[in-house]
This record gives sequence, structure tokens and C-alpha cells, in this order.
Amino acid sequence: MIRQPISTRLTVLLGIISVVALLAGYTLLSSMQHLDNPDDTTIPTWSQLGEGLQRLIEANPRTGERWLLLDAEATATRLFLGLFCGILGAIILGLLMGCYAPIEALLVPPMSLLAKIPPTAALAVFFVLVGTDTEMYVAMIAFGVLPTLAQSVYLAVHDVPREMLYKAYTLGASQMELIWNIIVRAVFPRLIDAVRLQIGPAMVYLIAAEMILGDVGFGYRIRLQMRLLNMNVVYPYLTFLAVFGFTMDYCLRLLQRVTCPWFVRHGR
Amino acid sequence: MKTRTSRYILIAAALAVILAVPAIWIMIRADEVPTFSLAWSEYPSWSAFGVAHEFGFINGKKGEIGPIEKKWGVDIELKEADYDTCLVMYGSGKCDAVCITNMDALIPCLTRKSVGILPTSTSFGADACIVDARITDIQQLRGKKVYGLAKTVSEYCFVRNVEILGEKEADFRFTNMDPAAAALAMQQKRDGFDAIVVWNPFVLETLNKRKDARVLFDSTTIPGEIIDMVVMTQESLDKPGGDKFAWAVIDAFYTINQQMAKSETRDETLIALGEKFSNLDLNSMRKVVQQTRFYSSPEEGIKVLGKEATAGIMEKVVAFCVSHEIVPEAPAVGFGSRAEAKEVAFRLDPAYIKGYVAKSK
Repeated sequence: MIRQPISTRLTVLLGIISVVALLAGYTLLSSMQHLDNPDDTTIPTWSQLGEGLQRLIEANPRTGERWLLLDAEATATRLFLGLFCGILGAIILGLLMGCYAPIEALLVPPMSLLAKIPPTAALAVFFVLVGTDTEMYVAMIAFGVLPTLAQSVYLAVHDVPREMLYKAYTLGASQMELIWNIIVRAVFPRLIDAVRLQIGPAMVYLIAAEMILGDVGFGYRIRLQMRLLNMNVVYPYLTFLAVFGFTMDYCLRLLQRVTCPWFVRHGR
Repeated sequence: MKTRTSRYILIAAALAVILAVPAIWIMIRADEVPTFSLAWSEYPSWSAFGVAHEFGFINGKKGEIGPIEKKWGVDIELKEADYDTCLVMYGSGKCDAVCITNMDALIPCLTRKSVGILPTSTSFGADACIVDARITDIQQLRGKKVYGLAKTVSEYCFVRNVEILGEKEADFRFTNMDPAAAALAMQQKRDGFDAIVVWNPFVLETLNKRKDARVLFDSTTIPGEIIDMVVMTQESLDKPGGDKFAWAVIDAFYTINQQMAKSETRDETLIALGEKFSNLDLNSMRKVVQQTRFYSSPEEGIKVLGKEATAGIMEKVVAFCVSHEIVPEAPAVGFGSRAEAKEVAFRLDPAYIKGYVAKSK
């Protein structure tokens, strides 16, 4: 039968099997590449990866820098600032678009168009607008995620049941009260879902920008070490990115469950 | 029921035939001559291979051969990619030969024994430090950020010139940035972008678009130190037909050089070389090929791959790569045949150009 439930035990077991299969697949790939060339560094073995990991955690003997700390600090600052600005802007614009028809008419066309543009391709525009420092990364992420997020918020506002609005009006709510007490609450869990989907693109934009411009950060290190064929440094970085993205996703889901227990989606 | 089954069988048989015919055809064709691949990126002297394909001297597609390939009995497969991607492709063994600089060749040679078979050009002004008009002396750059791609020929060119001018590298802040982005920021006159180190086409484009910018120094001070070349793995050279591939690649390169030397085909070849490289016009392309000085004759090529001309240069380059952590350890570099340079990671061997000359007579 389609969608027939399975036991929790089996769910966990299958989840573990898939991850183990992934790791085994990599081991196989790596050993095959090393059969071809024992000195290969492009698909590093686990021991090579260990050395790479050590290199990026330990202080560099010449400069005393710890790559991972340095890069994580730079990248995380840029990412969180960018996401913060993007989400805040999206909430405001999305609410305005959803609540007021003139603003909707004004902003829906540009938002739909801008949502399809990869911000990294418009590098020159960002240079002129905000320069080449942290502001540029922040602006790039913010502009990258804002249009799509604003559209999600706007659509969510439209989905708020009319009955609720009429009821609030009947009870004498002012416009601000209605927005804050009804619309924002109703939209919030959907906003979290939309943000979850935008973390991936935000990270992609940031890494791409860092590859071109950065002198510190995950993107910078990945590009540099890739050119030097030190894939044993690159892959741990990718793993960190994956773990970071997963953690963010989990935290947001948790936030959704805690703040909006009424918002139940089928399954999870 | 019966008719339906037989119809299925008929369709399946037809499909099998349709799929099998091209597959068999490709297999037969590929069996004729051995195939070797060359990864290249857009750069004046490397675009020669793309142009050789465009002009029909070779056919860069796998399984198809042009006149030069026919002459040597080998199939050249051209793989065009971004420069960094070419390095990764070569390092992971996904191509037999690659267009690379003498400096970057030191990275993959630690894991794949490599042989420099053909020098194509040297940077003679193609890498330059471009500064704002207010800066007239290198000492004014002390403590300021100089933008360029770190751990590449750009940084090498900068550091070598700093040394030549009697300054200390530690007094300057070479800051990583992609050359395209650095040139863009320079053209937009962004604050803090007083100096960039980039390569062509960005050198000429920046100078064309910002009349007040000037070259503080360039790679003309270090002639022959940055060498663009074709490097092949020892493993591929040892395969049957490996030497034929080397000869065919060398033949293709010198054929394009002959086209550039002839007055009736010169401009056409230059335009073809520059087409995807940049949006520089014919006049600028004439300048580009001066700044990227081609090793256009076998005699020059043989000289460059010789110990007398290049051993001292490679020593400098290796020392730079070690001190700037581009390579974890110094790769052993040798010259001449395998017997002459035993157990080295990177060998420069003029034998293949010599072989091409001898067999072409």
C-alpha cells in the first residue's frame, strides 16, 4: 500500500544504512582512484583526510593561524548578517505586499523577476552599491534570498482565512493589531519553512562570492586548496558546510515546533 | 495477445539495432588509432589548439581525426575548461596532457610524474601591477593592499619585482582576489583599489578603460620565468602512441605559429586566437601576442626546455612555491631524457620537439 507506515526502528535502521552506504561508496571510489595512482590527492583516503583535517584545525606553523577558526568566523558573520537583513526585509515587504493592494501591484512584478537572478552574476552592481567588504557579501545574500522569501510571505498572507480577518475586525481590532495578532502569527510557521529552503541558496551565493573575492572564508579556502589539489582540505570543509546547513535546518524545525505547535504538517 | 507480444519483440529488436549501430561504429573508429586528451583553457598560446581544431588542422572530438592526427596516427581529444578546472582534471588523471604554467605544474607533479614537452609562450608584460596615477613609486604601496590571485603567477610576479626593486615582501599586503573582480573594481575606481596584479586580458582591458591608471611594473623584468607550456604525464607518454600524441600536439602548435607568421593568414589567426579570450580588438591582440611572447619555432622551444636556459629559473620558482606553501615539499625537477633525469617529479624534455623536427623532414 502506498504510504504505509513502518516502525520507528526500521526508519532509524534505514537511515543509518543510507549514510553507511554513502561512506562505503566514497571509500570504494577513493581506493579505486588510488589503485590507478597511489599518490592521488584528488579523492583522498580516510588517512589523507585525517591529515587534511589536522592541517585546518592546528595552528599553521609559519603564521600561527588556525584556518578553520578564521574561515568559520568570517563566513558565519557574513552569512548570518546577510540572512538577517534578507529575512527582515522579506518580512516587511511580504507583509506590505500581502496586506495592501497598491503595494502588491507595485512590488509583485519586480520581486518575481529579481527572484530568478543569481546575485553573483551581478557582482559589478554590488561593487558600486556597497563596495567590496563585508557589506558586499551581506548585500549579495540579502538580495539573493529576499525576493523569494518576500514572495513566500506574501503568498502566506493571502492564505490567511478571510473569516479570521472579519472576526478580528468585528471584535474591533485596529489595522496594526490585526497585522500583529492575526497575520504575523498565521504567517510565521510558513516563513520558517521558506527560510529553511533559502539557507541552501544563501550558502551557495556566499561561497561563490568568497571564491571570487575573499581573502578569508570557506569559499576562499576551498578555491585555493582546490587549485593546489589539496582535496583532503576541501572535502572536510564541504562536510562542515553540510553539517552546518543540517543543524540550521534542524534548529528552525525545532523553533517551528515549539512556537507554532498548532501548525502540523503531515508527518513532520 | 500474440500479435501484441510479437509487436513488442519487433520494437525491442528495432531499438537494439538503432542503439547498437552507432555504438559499434564508434568502437570501430576509436580502435583505429589511440586517443589521448589535452585539457586547455583560453589563453593566447593555448587557444592555438582550439584554433587548430577550428581551422581543421586537427579534430578535437574523440574518435574523429584531422590531417595532423592522421599524419602521426593518433587521436587528439581536446577538453576545454577553466584554468583551475584543467589543473584538477590533470591532477585526478582525467586527461593525459594539460596546458599549464611552469609554476602550477609543480603542484600535480608531486602525485603524477610529469614531463614538460612543449613550451608555448612566456609572459613578457602579460602579468602586470597596475596602479592609480597617484602612485609613482613602489614604496608608496607599503602597507596598502595589493589585489591579485594569491599563490599564482600574479603573486610570483609581484614578489619577484619587489625583490628586484630592493624592497622586502613583508612590507606589502598582497590580498587575494580573482583577477576579473580586481580589474572590475579598479575600473570602477573603488576606494582602496590603488594597486592590482592581474594578467591579460585584464591588463590591457583595465588600461584601455581607465586612462589614468598605469603599469608600475610587469613581467618584462623577469623574462622567461613564467613559462606557459604543455605538460604530459609520464604514464601517458609510456603508453603505446604516447610519443605520437606529443608529436602531434607539437605539430599542431607550430602549424598555428606558421599561420601567424604568414602575412595572408596572420590577422585571421590572431582574431581566432582572441575571439573567446577577450573582447580586445585586432590591434590589442597584436599587443597581447607581444606580451605573451610565443615560442614560435622548434629551436626556441628546444632551448627553453634545456638545462642551460631554465634550470636556474626552475630553482627560483620551486623556492617560491615552497616558501609560499603552494607545495608541501620541493618537487625534484630535472632536465633531459628519463635516463638523464632519474626519479624526478617534473622533467623538462626537449626530445619530443626534436623528434617532431626529425620526423617532419
